[in-house]
Amino acid sequence: MTAPTGGGASPGDRAELARLLDEDPADLYENAPCGYLSTLPGGRIVKVNRTFAQWSGRPAGELLDASFPDLLTVGGRVFYETHIAPLLRMQGAVREVALDLALPDGSVLPCLVNAVELRDDAGAPVLVRATLFEATSRRRYERALLAAQRTAAESEARSRTLHQVVSDLAAAVSVHDVAEVLVARGRAATHATGGAVWLLAGEPPVGRPTGAPPLELVAESGIGPRLRVALEEAGGWGARLLRPGGVRVVPLGPDMEQAEPLLAAAMAEEGADSLVLVPVTADGRRRGALVLVQGTPGDDELISLHEPGTPSDLTPADADLLSTVGRQAGQALERVWLYEETARQAARSAFLLDAARLMSAATGVGETVQRLAELAVPRLAELCVIDLVGEHGFLRPAARHADPTRQHLADRLRELHLPMSGAAHPTVQAAERMRTVWIREPTDEWLQAIARDERHLAVVRELDLTGLVAVPLVAAGRLLGVLTLGSGRRRGSFTAADVEVAEQLALQVSQVVDKAQRLEQETRTSHTLQANLLPPAPPPVPGLEVAVRYVAATRGADVGGDFYDVVPLPVDGTVALAVGDVVGHDITAAAVMGQLRSVHRVLLADRPSPSAIIDRFQAGWALLGLQRMATALFGSLDPATGQLRLASAGHLSPLLVDGSTAEFLDVRPSRMLGAPASPAPAVEWAGVLPVGATLVLFTDGLVESRTADIDEGLAQLLDAARSATGAGPDELCDRLLAELTGDHRADDVALLAIARV
Amino acid sequence: MIVRNRVRVSGTPSGRPIVFAHGFGCDQTMWRHVAPEFEADHRVVLFDHVGSGGSDLSAYDPDRYGSLRAYADDVVALCRELELTDVVLVGHSVSAMIGALAVARAPELFGALVMIGPNPRYVDDGDYAGGFSRADIVGLLDSLDANHLGWSASIAPVIMGNPDHPELAEELTNSFCRTDPDIARQFARVTFLSDNRADLPAVCVPTLVLQCSEDAIAPEVVGRYVHAHVPGSTFTQLAATGHCPHLSAPEETVAAIRAWLPVPAGRP
Repeated sequence: MTAPTGGGASPGDRAELARLLDEDPADLYENAPCGYLSTLPGGRIVKVNRTFAQWSGRPAGELLDASFPDLLTVGGRVFYETHIAPLLRMQGAVREVALDLALPDGSVLPCLVNAVELRDDAGAPVLVRATLFEATSRRRYERALLAAQRTAAESEARSRTLHQVVSDLAAAVSVHDVAEVLVARGRAATHATGGAVWLLAGEPPVGRPTGAPPLELVAESGIGPRLRVALEEAGGWGARLLRPGGVRVVPLGPDMEQAEPLLAAAMAEEGADSLVLVPVTADGRRRGALVLVQGTPGDDELISLHEPGTPSDLTPADADLLSTVGRQAGQALERVWLYEETARQAARSAFLLDAARLMSAATGVGETVQRLAELAVPRLAELCVIDLVGEHGFLRPAARHADPTRQHLADRLRELHLPMSGAAHPTVQAAERMRTVWIREPTDEWLQAIARDERHLAVVRELDLTGLVAVPLVAAGRLLGVLTLGSGRRRGSFTAADVEVAEQLALQVSQVVDKAQRLEQETRTSHTLQANLLPPAPPPVPGLEVAVRYVAATRGADVGGDFYDVVPLPVDGTVALAVGDVVGHDITAAAVMGQLRSVHRVLLADRPSPSAIIDRFQAGWALLGLQRMATALFGSLDPATGQLRLASAGHLSPLLVDGSTAEFLDVRPSRMLGAPASPAPAVEWAGVLPVGATLVLFTDGLVESRTADIDEGLAQLLDAARSATGAGPDELCDRLLAELTGDHRADDVALLAIARV
Repeated sequence: MIVRNRVRVSGTPSGRPIVFAHGFGCDQTMWRHVAPEFEADHRVVLFDHVGSGGSDLSAYDPDRYGSLRAYADDVVALCRELELTDVVLVGHSVSAMIGALAVARAPELFGALVMIGPNPRYVDDGDYAGGFSRADIVGLLDSLDANHLGWSASIAPVIMGNPDHPELAEELTNSFCRTDPDIARQFARVTFLSDNRADLPAVCVPTLVLQCSEDAIAPEVVGRYVHAHVPGSTFTQLAATGHCPHLSAPEETVAAIRAWLPVPAGRP
């Protein structure tokens, strides 16, 4: 070994340096600043230096014959077997391999290892020489570097997650969408095996006591059915989800096993070891929570590195992320709720408008409730039943199901007659209390309690309703009936907004039904009265054939004041004729008509001429005290000679039909009965009704319609009469009515046809 | 496939095909002392698993290779592409299990399976002793991290792109066992965290279990477990120590395989 000669050093220094550098090779080996180690190819140690022995914490003697891999940590041992040993064989050397020595005191000494394989002439390995350098600081630095790299990568992944959450939420248009995003992104961000979102449902139901606030499972994935049920049934689950505070980890442990044994068992079964509760907050209020399940799913391909039964930790950064995601979802929910509320309002308005339109077109109570039932399903409910108050309890004029294949169930419900009070049935309850009854989830016990009999129970069971709402129909404090709606599996449960719509609908229906009921009552009265005021069928008169028709208007309660009369007078056989029309379409008009007819009969006792009858009516009008004016045509006909006299008080001229000719007789009208006095007396028309000819007297209902004016009607009447050649009075009446009046008559029609035979 | 897995075919084209599958850690170079011994009477096929050695790293899809089944599918596809039948499949370490899965997947392709140092589940599980705790695996992943710090993506093309210029690769330290650290970590996870015990009974070809002495990665008790669960398998205990008898004791390894394989027709 040659000592370097430093410039400027004294000869004495040089000698000292040479002495120092003239080292003992054994000392250099033993006390080198690195560990030396020789092993056989299989790893058995055959030589170590003191430095290595010191580092390894073992006496050199103990190290000899030991296996080098056995001095390493398990990870190091695997790395030795899978990398170092093969590399030594394949390329004869390894450099800068990181290995950790496992020290007897349980600590670890990080080292860097270089090794070479010595081979014999045939290339067979004979020895491995290795040097080890302590690398504690360097490895600490490298670890810190790696940790920083991973932290940066995780932080980037978190901000990517947040970015995705924000963009996914922006595309969400329903509460369900928001919940799905929350579950998917929450699961992905925390590698959770499952996730679910529970949100507060609508307002608590009326009529049933409630404990915990109603929470609805809106979205879920990766949670087994048993765990889901256990979660929902866990005592105070809702309260726990809504408890104020941030993200919380609820571990599966003794606490849970004691408080919630079923939940703990379900979690253990599904390999879950903790639940992470993430608050979902909107508008400063808790609206629900995202629940993430952490653990090992049973069907995963790889074994989890996570020790079973030890709760996983949530890093503060992950907790922050989840908390932010929960807030973002809350904001999205607010937006979606607002949007849905607006859409609901619009749908509700449209629905109520449709309802109003439909019901305004309906005539009568029966048609109104039928149309209401048709409208309510399926837009508002799956089942709609309407009960109306009758003389002996409820009547059910309508029951409809949204599904035509299940309408038979609704039909069976129609046969049910409920009492007005004293029953648990929601319809009866609503009637009794005069307020809405809302049953959220009808249980089978409840169905048994309300069913009227076994048959009814079978029907309501088969209907499989998920909710019921019964709304009383009330007008001016009077109970008219009950609107009962049922929701089913297809449509989903009722919301508070649905119930509100049902109540508004009931209000509309009540008014329409009330009005229709009153009108029907009035109509019935008017028609009874009118029927009694009209004359009986005219008696047969020799030499004449007489047909009369009285057809009421088709609309509602309108009662006409039309009348006719055919009276054979004693002694000379003359027949008195009359047809008239009192102004107005109501009960007063009918009453006036009745009076006019009676007075006419009384006047006939003196056998006055038709014009004289008009004059007497005009003269006595004030004395009669009648409120309405009237038009009228009076006549007398001698069946034997055909002598005919006619006089008109503002009435349409009669028609004479003879063979294929038809003409209006020119009876000049004087003023209407009851019209202000004028100097002109009534003018009488006189002529002869030939044998075979027919005289037709009619009221304006025959020729007037809402769509055409009276001249058109008169022309049509002439045409119709001309084409009815050879028809007798009866047939003529039928044909004229058929051709001139359609199915809808605006006014009553009185028609009188007399033929000489 | 040929390029992706750097497939090398040598030996006797008309001979019985023998396919060597390397284990976790390095690449097909591991077979350098064993494979040539079969060339005289076999068609010898070597390859690198995707993500290892000279394979095409861009073909590595972390989702697909999240399970050993993907590797088994690759082996099956390779045999189909080379139109091999009656294949002798020799798998080392994790590839012993990959081989078992491949045989079960396409039994018509394989005639024999040699499992060197198999371990169907490394992590202990109740009465089953695989040899490792979860903490051990965490430590292993840590060791991999510590040894891949010097790896950078920029040298990957040098390693991977020049298989025909070994002098270039030789310049790189520890080259046979280098790969992208993320892939190495994922492959380690799949290797050490799989549980394929239930797949053993489905191995339906003659099987040889080669068990090393003092193997820390595949202890003898595990080898015996495999032997007990692969129907009709043969168990051969090697004197060789460690986990890589094909490198440390190639003669013994070759002899053990040859002794078990039927003598090919046309040879004395």
